[in-house]
Amino acid sequence: MTQLVPHIFNGLTLGLLFALIALGFTLIVGVMEVINLAHGSLFALGAYFALAIIGGSWLGDTAIGEWWLALPIMPRYILALIVAPILAGLSGMVLELALRRTYGKAPLYGLLLTFGAALVIEELIRLGWGTGEQNLQLPQSISGAILLGGLIYSKYKLFAAGFAVFAIIMVWLFLEKTPYGAIIKAGAHDSEMVRALGYDLARLRLLVFGLGAGLAGLAGVIMVPIWGLRPHVGIDVVIPAFLIIVLGGIGSFWGSVIAAILVGLSVGITGAYAPAWSMMSMYILLILVVGFRARGLFGKKSALEN
Amino acid sequence: MATLSDITRRSSQWITPQIFVFAVFLLSLPLWIRPIGLYQYIGIEIAIWIIFALGFNLLFGYTGLHSFGHGAYLGVGAYAFGLFQLHVGVSLIGGLLAAVFAAALAGAFVACFVSHRRGIYFALMTIAFGQVFWFASIKMHGITGGEDGLLNIPRPDLNLGVYSVSLSGNTALYYLIAVLLIIVTVFTWRAMNSPFGRILQAIRQNETRASFIGYEVWWFKWAAFTLSAMFAGLAGGLFAMAQESAYPDVMSLHQSGLIVMMVLVGGGLVNFWGPILGVILYFIARDVLGSITETWLLWYGLMFVVMVMFKPEGLAGVLAGLSKNSAETLNDLPVKTAEGN
Amino acid sequence: MAKNNLTRRQLLKTTAAAGVAGTLFGPWKHNRVYAAGTDKPIKIGITSDASGQYANSGASDRRGMQMAIAEFNAKGGVLGRKIESTHIDTETTPATGSRVAERMINREEAGFLIGAVSSGVANAISQVAQKNGVIYFNTNSSSPTESGKNCHRVKFVWDGNGANFAKAAVKNSIDKYGDKWTLLTNDYVWGHNTAAATKTLLEQYGGTVEEEILVPQGTRDFSSALLKIQQGNPNVVAAAIGGDDQKALRQQVAQLGMGSSPAWINNQQDWPDVYGLPLDNLFGVFGTTWYYKLDLPGVDDFVARYQAMYPDTRMRVPGNVFYNGYMAMKNMLEAIERAGTTNNIAVIKELEGHKMSAEDRMQHHDAWIDPDTHQVQQSIYLATAKSETDDKDDMFEILNNVSPDDVRDTGAAAACQLESYDDTPTFDA
Repeated sequence: MTQLVPHIFNGLTLGLLFALIALGFTLIVGVMEVINLAHGSLFALGAYFALAIIGGSWLGDTAIGEWWLALPIMPRYILALIVAPILAGLSGMVLELALRRTYGKAPLYGLLLTFGAALVIEELIRLGWGTGEQNLQLPQSISGAILLGGLIYSKYKLFAAGFAVFAIIMVWLFLEKTPYGAIIKAGAHDSEMVRALGYDLARLRLLVFGLGAGLAGLAGVIMVPIWGLRPHVGIDVVIPAFLIIVLGGIGSFWGSVIAAILVGLSVGITGAYAPAWSMMSMYILLILVVGFRARGLFGKKSALEN
Repeated sequence: MATLSDITRRSSQWITPQIFVFAVFLLSLPLWIRPIGLYQYIGIEIAIWIIFALGFNLLFGYTGLHSFGHGAYLGVGAYAFGLFQLHVGVSLIGGLLAAVFAAALAGAFVACFVSHRRGIYFALMTIAFGQVFWFASIKMHGITGGEDGLLNIPRPDLNLGVYSVSLSGNTALYYLIAVLLIIVTVFTWRAMNSPFGRILQAIRQNETRASFIGYEVWWFKWAAFTLSAMFAGLAGGLFAMAQESAYPDVMSLHQSGLIVMMVLVGGGLVNFWGPILGVILYFIARDVLGSITETWLLWYGLMFVVMVMFKPEGLAGVLAGLSKNSAETLNDLPVKTAEGN
Repeated sequence: MAKNNLTRRQLLKTTAAAGVAGTLFGPWKHNRVYAAGTDKPIKIGITSDASGQYANSGASDRRGMQMAIAEFNAKGGVLGRKIESTHIDTETTPATGSRVAERMINREEAGFLIGAVSSGVANAISQVAQKNGVIYFNTNSSSPTESGKNCHRVKFVWDGNGANFAKAAVKNSIDKYGDKWTLLTNDYVWGHNTAAATKTLLEQYGGTVEEEILVPQGTRDFSSALLKIQQGNPNVVAAAIGGDDQKALRQQVAQLGMGSSPAWINNQQDWPDVYGLPLDNLFGVFGTTWYYKLDLPGVDDFVARYQAMYPDTRMRVPGNVFYNGYMAMKNMLEAIERAGTTNNIAVIKELEGHKMSAEDRMQHHDAWIDPDTHQVQQSIYLATAKSETDDKDDMFEILNNVSPDDVRDTGAAAACQLESYDDTPTFDA
């Protein structure tokens, strides 16, 4: 049992990270009913923007460049954590403009357009930053190890899990407690009503997609110090995100958070007892749950079923 | 403009003029493939992928079930063919039957789970099963050779009773595949114009209505899935023969996504011939662009995005638009709307 | 050019004629006579990955080959013929490897093929190459199966393999760190082969395997495995984790500061995979076949030539992948020169058993091409991260060098059966 406790704790942290990865994806699917296959590429893009901000090499040998690099890593990192997701969000907005042509058609078209966009973004990353492995610098205070119950944990991972909790709560508060959130949720249920009330639906969708893409970028900045940074790092994101929203049920915010934690626990615990099966366990979990509950744990009826 | 449903009203012939032209095109290909700057092997790959795409479009275009894990059945067919040659006996017919049968079995099993599902849940379940097959093929390396693949699969001779023909040359193998492709084309054409094909299309247009009319929708979806897995298995068996190996990569999500892309770009949603155009375009674009630039995927991706935005009927739609009055076809998509249900 | 040999064109035609095609349409004439004149350039097909997991290493590999080609062309080519190369992306996918090989041989009419990082791709290419008798150099795939059960008469393997590296590391490490070992193994063929080599050596030298942790391919989070390692507390962890999985593992071990305790034994670390990363990413002891700061004659000049040819490359110094690509290409061209012909069988015979002096190889020991497995037997270096350094290119500290005799992969020799010369189609490129 004492052997198991650390693994449960580990699974829980892993689950929170999965929830962070799926957050932007869930938002876009839930509100706009668009499956954003470019989620992984936006995730990577966010991380590369952070790399550019922290590294600052594009500033060149100018005075600003020197001043920037002379700063300690902490302020540079904080700026990256804020600005990189915004840039990813803006890129997402550009994508949304292209996506508009698919509205009103079968959801398949949105999915395919974002699949194409994913290819394009990944190739652009290769052109801009090269194909090699890169490293995102971290401030001292969140790197290194920490001793918990005689075992070593990564400080950064605990920070990331804590940050995931923070991001989840912020998004929830935004959706529940602000007028924007109310309009967004209304838009998800009845777009005619929103239009009738005099809100600009096009702008609302642009905002939601931007927010979702920004959250993808944020997840990228947070996850990349754990996974490493390379142009195709986003491939590892889409499948878990997909799995989590289906498991949790499309359109359910807490459903996907709970599903993410379940996936984290199943990967963490199989990792302890049958590590060779740890990846497979997610799929088995999905097939079991969706085999019995057609719409996942907390799913509602969705236009995507048609 | 043409939609898949229009075609059903038009013809129930076995051999149409288009099929005849296609057959002539296929059978004469070895005569002119070199002068146009290509090579025989790419003809083989294209023909195999067309078999795969035609079978896939029964499910994707006609029945409206968007499977994103179809590479799995191609892979199962390839492994079954290889394992038959290596462990049972070197036989062309035996190997191909094993490939079709194994893929049918895998497809039928998965179909039991997914045919009660619709839309995105259907797509996601096919992805999950696809990943399981892919994973299993790497994990069971004692049988499949793992990520290195099953290697040195012999190419059996074609035994015609009186004499047998060696298929070790690429041209000979191409002719075998071309003949099979013609049979597959005739069969899928006829099947989609049969009452069975019409019911599948009715399910695509409105599943709920189809079930109210009294059709066992579940059974038809199951049958369409299994049937298309069988074609994938046949293609897989031939692929193993062409490469003399079977690899797990064809089962990955990426490869399963490619067949969707090819079928869509070609115009599989609106035209029987769409998948064929899509496969040809993809392979030629990859071969030609790939030898010119290393960023060919960027250009192909951009082309794809533009196509989804402006011409989602695909290449078949473009060609139809050129041959007809173009004003008639613009922005007039034959796909149902999300709100329409 | 020998008159009595079939050219490959004739060979293809014969095969075709045997098929349905031949009987229906008869053999047809090609407008290009293949390699008829001696003034024709020698065509080399470069089959390295430009996309997928190994895109970065593939680019480095290719630069090595191109430098060798440029140097030979500057001297007037080989046998008075200019050398031309074509590159097609193999996408780190075996099925693409087959197609690219077919295209290279039948459409580009390449007489020689070279390049690979992924063993799956190398396999696929070599099968097509063997069928056509085209010599193929596997430059950078370190899977033991390449010169073992998947060896071919036309294929030559230029990298050290997993077994070589294990041999170089195991005995040393038992003496130095202890005999309680845990194996961390990627659950696929390469991982299992490498782990098996380590296990055999451990038995031989009196170490014990406490536990083997299998992690699936595609694992991005190693925390459960790292927790298990802490709970088991071994002296040494021998990791056989490849590709992107290894990059994630590296990152996570560095964060935990677990890189020095327990002691880690890693397989080869390819230079393009680690270049530019912080030094704590380079944990434990690992193998390599070459390093740009080896104190040997010719190395500095080689580095200078690299920098002159590739002034804009992010990687400021050449690494092992570049080195293998360069050496393989150079030796291919030299073998053609020695043979005095581009006839494939003659060149193969020239390569088999060929000895390369330590000086030519810029390594510590003489190397040779094993005629039974076609793998280059070469010096293996054990290295670790450099502890105190201001030069950010100078990342490795070379711990020792091991001679090829001490690291010979005997398993490969037992598993490899080369096709006979008669079963290999012959032609002049």
